[in-house]
Amino acid sequence: MARLVIMGGGVSGHTAATFAKKWLGNDHEVVVVTPNSNWNWIPSNIWVGVGQMTKEEVVFPLAPVYEKAGIDFKQAKAVSIHPDGNADSDTPYITIESTKEGTAGETEEVTYDYLINATGPKLNFGATPGLGEGTTLGEHTVSVCTADHAVHANEELRKVFDKAKAGERQKILIGTGHGMCTCQGAAFEYIFNIEHEAKKAGVRDMVDIKWISNESFLGDFGIGGLHMNRGGYAASSRLFAESLYSERDIPWLIGAHVSKVEAGKVHYELLDGSTGEEEFDFSMLIPPFAGVGLTAVAKDGSDMTDTIFAPNGFMKVDAKYDAGDYANWKASDWPETYQNPTYKNMFACGIAFAPPHPISKPMSSPAGTPIFPTPPRTGMPSGIIGKAVAHSICDLIKNPSAELHKASMAKMGAACVASAGKGLTDGTAAALTVYPVVPDFETYPGLGRDLTYTFGEIGLAGHWIKHVLHHLFIYKAKLKPGWTLIPE
Amino acid sequence: MVQKLVVYPDPRINSTSTDVRIFNDTLWDILQDMKDTMEEHNMNAMAAIQIAYPYNIIIIKEGEEYWELINPRGLTQSGSFDSKETTAYYPDLEITVKRDENMKIIYEDREGKAQHRDISDKQLASTLQRKMDYTFGGNLLDKLEKKEREKMLDHLADRGLTPMPVDDICPTFSKKDYFVSFTNKLLLVMGLSLFTPLFNLSKEVIDTIYNIDKIIFPAIIALMIGFFFYAQYEAKKYKQCSSCQIGNNIGVIIKRVTLATLFALGSYFILSPK
Repeated sequence: MARLVIMGGGVSGHTAATFAKKWLGNDHEVVVVTPNSNWNWIPSNIWVGVGQMTKEEVVFPLAPVYEKAGIDFKQAKAVSIHPDGNADSDTPYITIESTKEGTAGETEEVTYDYLINATGPKLNFGATPGLGEGTTLGEHTVSVCTADHAVHANEELRKVFDKAKAGERQKILIGTGHGMCTCQGAAFEYIFNIEHEAKKAGVRDMVDIKWISNESFLGDFGIGGLHMNRGGYAASSRLFAESLYSERDIPWLIGAHVSKVEAGKVHYELLDGSTGEEEFDFSMLIPPFAGVGLTAVAKDGSDMTDTIFAPNGFMKVDAKYDAGDYANWKASDWPETYQNPTYKNMFACGIAFAPPHPISKPMSSPAGTPIFPTPPRTGMPSGIIGKAVAHSICDLIKNPSAELHKASMAKMGAACVASAGKGLTDGTAAALTVYPVVPDFETYPGLGRDLTYTFGEIGLAGHWIKHVLHHLFIYKAKLKPGWTLIPE
Repeated sequence: MVQKLVVYPDPRINSTSTDVRIFNDTLWDILQDMKDTMEEHNMNAMAAIQIAYPYNIIIIKEGEEYWELINPRGLTQSGSFDSKETTAYYPDLEITVKRDENMKIIYEDREGKAQHRDISDKQLASTLQRKMDYTFGGNLLDKLEKKEREKMLDHLADRGLTPMPVDDICPTFSKKDYFVSFTNKLLLVMGLSLFTPLFNLSKEVIDTIYNIDKIIFPAIIALMIGFFFYAQYEAKKYKQCSSCQIGNNIGVIIKRVTLATLFALGSYFILSPK
């Protein structure tokens, strides 16, 4: 009997665990180690953040789902990986620390035959002074990265709306809280949902809303933008985004690295080297992401974290990490199997794998501050990668010489439905598809993408799709009948 | 070398220009072609796409000097004014659009070195914004309200300039519509059949109608399956047709299959011989 241990139970880890268990059955063991007791459908957090959904609608307890599926669930955070075992045993293992009430802080060793790192990101609030300490959100801004953050964000937002109703002009600032953030899409959704809610609350004329981000053009989204067919030609997402921001009366500040956050004020540096300040009464700034801080330990007890992990804390996989300058980047730099090059029984998926380089053009200010979006790994690619990795491991368990399954982001399309306001009849969302996620300039000279599968439109139907997807993916994650038929 | 200008109705102007990644002779040749063409046509600014090079390059003539901007981006903007503009793409057309008065921009020079500049000259700011729109696949008419844009297009049409037809756009009528049309007729028959008990018809006639419904229902399902596959084939043929997209086709199918199912259930409860 082989044991597959999955660190992380988010979109990618949960997908990998559930498919692995389905394919392996009871002949082998699947263990999930995740510090959270609940599964969170993160894309809907923005609706919690504007009070259009409750926390309970976007989370569900993992334990009963895993119990039903026959997956061993350990509510704990992974601390270290020992891929060669220790002085007493060659069996690889990880050490974990319980986060469960009653046993919190207790450590345990979990041996494995195969390991998937799907730990997701560390919300690195501490990277920007004033944005927070370590992984803890600070007091000056709010976040929608977790369901609890989103609940808090809504409480603060309502206070701002109340003040606006009382005739006090309010300023809202939404965007990215560091020069190297990803997840612009979530901030994009949140700012337009706030704008929509402000209108519904009748306070839009008393609320100034502004966008701040590290993108070098509006509509970059960390993927170098996308393109929409228009009369047979490709129009940039910049045109679409600028139209939307102008239409909703939201000015923007881009190419910005938020260098410091204080009460009611952010300091920023722009790509041209200039600096400035922006005041706010309410601000949601996405923090930069980093690896969760796992360490790797050699058999003799020495630290070998650098062997397994990239400097940003994400796990090294079969990517080309020495691609060099932007001009040399190729689609083939991106990983296909997500297998660790040193330890073949170790894989990473979702946000936990180290990308070879950004997707957007890397830029820095004259002072050398890097200001550009880091590559996003949204739900769809994360789910697809998780499933491919699970498939590879299941095949390897049954046949050690089996060929690995591939799911390169440079050969994968992604669909994203970005909400711009919730409402059955007045909601809007932008439905965007992009193929491939990572531009392939060799196959598709010029823009690097196949325009047949790259498009975007905004409208009410998009909102309905987003709402249906919310229920559909939670249904799938709960492993209800027919869950395997729902695509990632 | 002087290149041919892209002039309305040439649709290539709608192409998004790709960022320059490699700074070498190819780029420098393009820059020279742009300058030669600007000189020839006495132009004060040009985006590379205006001579059909789909690269994110702009040149602006300042006095006798040519200011080269590779991969330009606008970071901030402030102020707003009505700018009366002309462009070589729409000859003899003067259009008033809203432009930002001040801008902070970043760009690279011909060696790939990052540069930046604050623009506070209204005229220069508007020229730059107009050219940057071109690099992202937009043009002057996009800035206008729909009605005003149509007025301008009518004005151009009066001069014999009409939009060029683009290949593989939506067909005005496609063969997949035959599937839908026939399905609609069958649905009408099924729907009408539910009213037969209101008339004083014999049991045999009602039984026959019920049997017809029993044939029509699977026929509709089969037609919709046929529709799906044919529509998929057609969608590949007409790549730029938004009504050919799979979502629309699925919508057509769901609507009709749902109706057919409801009618079939109605037929079963109302017409079936008990």
